[in-house]
Amino acid sequence: MNKRAQRKKKRRIIPVPIASMGDIAFLLIIFFLVCSEVAKDKTNLQVTLPNSEYVEKTKASVAARVAIDAEGVIYFDGARVDSSKDVEWGVRAVLASTVSDEQRHVQFKCDAALPKETFEPVMKAIAEAGGILEAVGEKNQ
Amino acid sequence: MRKRDRSEKRHRTGEIPTGSFSDIAFLLIIYFLVATTLVKVKSITADLPSGEKSSQAQSDKTPTINLKDDVIMFNDKKVDLAELNARLAALDLAELEGSKRVILLESAKGTPYENYFQALAAISANGGVVALVEDDK
Repeated sequence: MNKRAQRKKKRRIIPVPIASMGDIAFLLIIFFLVCSEVAKDKTNLQVTLPNSEYVEKTKASVAARVAIDAEGVIYFDGARVDSSKDVEWGVRAVLASTVSDEQRHVQFKCDAALPKETFEPVMKAIAEAGGILEAVGEKNQ
Repeated sequence: MRKRDRSEKRHRTGEIPTGSFSDIAFLLIIYFLVATTLVKVKSITADLPSGEKSSQAQSDKTPTINLKDDVIMFNDKKVDLAELNARLAALDLAELEGSKRVILLESAKGTPYENYFQALAAISANGGVVALVEDDK
């Protein structure tokens, strides 16, 4: 009986195998690094987005990003451009290698207060180049 | 002196201490999770048809939206945003084919993007195809 009690005591000391915990954790880090998509919009623009009840989370992956800031300065994929013509050529160049409609989406971000004369030529340039407009906005609260 | 020798011997086993590896790794994971900003971009999709202005007169039946300052006109009648949406919904554009889905969007000089965007969003949400009307030069 005494021996039995001793055996029981020995069995209770079970070390938890934690040797592979580090491997698991590093695998998780690698998973996050591989799966995460780095934001390509480096302009960090101060833009007041327009509101609408119809905006939805963008599902399509965008081929290019066009933005106009509050001063009316146009950006194409983060780089400042001079006119809407530059946007058209830029979008044309990006879409040249595309094969389906899903790859034709072009994100368009514009300040809500800008007048038509500033943003409409850019929108037309995107359309002329064959891009599908993804106009960024905020949902009405 | 003897004690010192013993402790030195213990250190000479050659094993790399990996006990804290998991702690470091999990700290890194927590750092990534906390520092990551998930950007949720919300937008409306509009496939604007491109092309030259037709010399032929547009059919009178094509619905037209006019924007001037804060006023929205739908087929020359003043409407608000809710009414515009109701009228577009009544047209049942999603069920129509090709050019019948086209809605002309005309705007006066100085129209702010906010108003333009709202009209664009209403047309797209109701299955319409937006055709931008250019000013006569």
